[in-house]
Amino acid sequence: MAEKPRIALVVGSGSVKCAAALGLWKALDHEGIPIDMLVGCSGGSIYASTMSLGFSLDECIEYTQTLWNEKVTNEKNWRAMLSAVFPKMFKFGHDFGMISDRQMMKNLHQVFGDKTFADTKIPLTIMTTDFYTGEQVPLSSGKIVDAIRASIAIPFIWSAHRVGDRVLIDGAASNPMPVDIAIKEGAEVILAMGFQAPLPSKVRSVSRYAFHINGIMTNNLYQSNFAFHNAVHHAEIIPIFPDFERSIRLFDTDQIPYAIEQGEKATQEQIPYIRKLLNL
Amino acid sequence: MEINITKGNVDIIAVSGSIDALTSSELVKTLNDHIHDGHPNVIVDFGKVEFMSSAGLRAILASVKEARAAGGDFRLASPQPGIDKVLKMAGFYNIVKIYPTVEEALASFG
Amino acid sequence: MKKHLSIVIGSGSILCAASLGLMKALKREKIQPDMLVGCSGGSLYAATLALGFDPAAIHEMTVDMYKNDIVEGYTSNLRAAMSGETRFNETSGLVDDKILMERLQTIFAEKTFADTTIPLHIVATDFYTGEEVVLSNGRLVDAARASSAIPMIFPPWKINDQLLVDGAVCNPLPVDVAIKEGSDVIIAIGFELPMRRRMNSYTAVTTHFNSLYMNNILKSTFAFYNAAHHAEIIPILPSFEKQIGGFDHHQLPYIIEQGEKAAEEQIPYLKKLLEN
Repeated sequence: MAEKPRIALVVGSGSVKCAAALGLWKALDHEGIPIDMLVGCSGGSIYASTMSLGFSLDECIEYTQTLWNEKVTNEKNWRAMLSAVFPKMFKFGHDFGMISDRQMMKNLHQVFGDKTFADTKIPLTIMTTDFYTGEQVPLSSGKIVDAIRASIAIPFIWSAHRVGDRVLIDGAASNPMPVDIAIKEGAEVILAMGFQAPLPSKVRSVSRYAFHINGIMTNNLYQSNFAFHNAVHHAEIIPIFPDFERSIRLFDTDQIPYAIEQGEKATQEQIPYIRKLLNL
Repeated sequence: MEINITKGNVDIIAVSGSIDALTSSELVKTLNDHIHDGHPNVIVDFGKVEFMSSAGLRAILASVKEARAAGGDFRLASPQPGIDKVLKMAGFYNIVKIYPTVEEALASFG
Repeated sequence: MKKHLSIVIGSGSILCAASLGLMKALKREKIQPDMLVGCSGGSLYAATLALGFDPAAIHEMTVDMYKNDIVEGYTSNLRAAMSGETRFNETSGLVDDKILMERLQTIFAEKTFADTTIPLHIVATDFYTGEEVVLSNGRLVDAARASSAIPMIFPPWKINDQLLVDGAVCNPLPVDVAIKEGSDVIIAIGFELPMRRRMNSYTAVTTHFNSLYMNNILKSTFAFYNAAHHAEIIPILPSFEKQIGGFDHHQLPYIIEQGEKAAEEQIPYLKKLLEN
């Protein structure tokens, strides 16, 4: 392994569970281990962004709690719902989403303002998916707000987001835990934090059904990508999969402190091995 | 990491500790030597494996391919829950026969 | 040592008929597979080939299968379900599966996996967990029905108390089954689903998202299988320049021809592999 191995942190999709990344950071910080590169996908893009901009841990916790609260998910997009039932009367298009993004955009602006990828202290990549072709589109330039908004555009929940001349959606639709970005960039030690998508136990409507199928396909994609990345990486990928005994659903924002705690615990278990790898 | 070999109809290779970037090359060497010593069928007992990283997974994968190319098979037995989760995530259940106990793995070779 | 040869036929509805072209090319060379694996639309071809049906009969079966009455009632059922007029849950589908079942019954009757002359495996997905379920015994009607239960369109299908959907939800081109069973040479015939540019209904978007995910899972699993297999996987990926809709059974000759063409390109290499 190189003299000073480069450490990448990859935070996969998992909505509020991604807050576990802050716990991971806390544990590394405690040991004085720096991160050289950040990659985020979907919910993970929010945490990767705040960390890369050089905010303190407390600021990150505070900002992400402001960002992601119930208000964000409360405002239904009635026009979109009607367009699903009466596509001719209420024009139906790629901008379909069940929840209005007004509050989300407002919150994102409050935290990130007009900051761009050029303002980051640690190099950052955010994963999104091309809505039309399904290809992964990693973003590493432009406004952070746009990149996050695109990366969290969960199918059926939030509408797709236009960035430049591309229409983008949730990075989880192509690459839920984008370890490959860190491999390509030459990181030697990759901390891969990933989460299974929560699956509803009861499916009671067409939209829930569609959402359930998306969830299981995201999980399968997450698993097959991870399998491939493990088989081809030349150095070391350390999986950090926090355990959640409580069931945390997509928008259970009150569970953020618990997620952080579990992330810290899962990381602490790996600290001795990470130290050995880094010759500390 | 420690490796113990129990001879039998099909040899059982028990691994304990951590299979990672610091230990995996030793495991690959042991397994490959064993396979090419006329024992292409192996059972690897995972009961006491505590941790597995990507280097460990790649080592196992290399030996699986080695065993099959030599006309045998590589089967895994008794992974603990934490390791089982990693094996599932890394796609091993799709491509390797994995059994809850060593006895079942033995029986699978008939 | 004789090499063990498997053929894996991936999902792709009517495009899966390209596997008939592949079989034609293999037959000419007197190459017989030792195992067949099928997923979703591919399960129909894997199963009928494993039963030893002749290509003409399978061709006829395809023409009969993909008539568009098979999805009758879709639009009105969707509207009723979206507006809450009718209930929709995990056992529902937007299309009555009566016609599909009749056609599958005509093809397979009461035949089981035990009746096949070539070992056969069919892949489906557990509806609740999303995990891969490999079917290797029981009635072929059930296996084919479960494997091709396109999400939302056809109701999932229960086998031994397990609710199953389309195999493409977990593994559109299940090469893993052949790897695990110890095959040496694996011919994998797979299809990317067409991506839409225009979407003007909830259905169109849902179908688009499903195809998008399935294509990405196809690429991702295939990448892993290539890294994990000890011998050789020969991909056969027929290209279709013409637009082919789900029920374009008049395009069948073209589809089969493209499959045969793609297969022929690989025949010399395949023969060398099998001789060695």
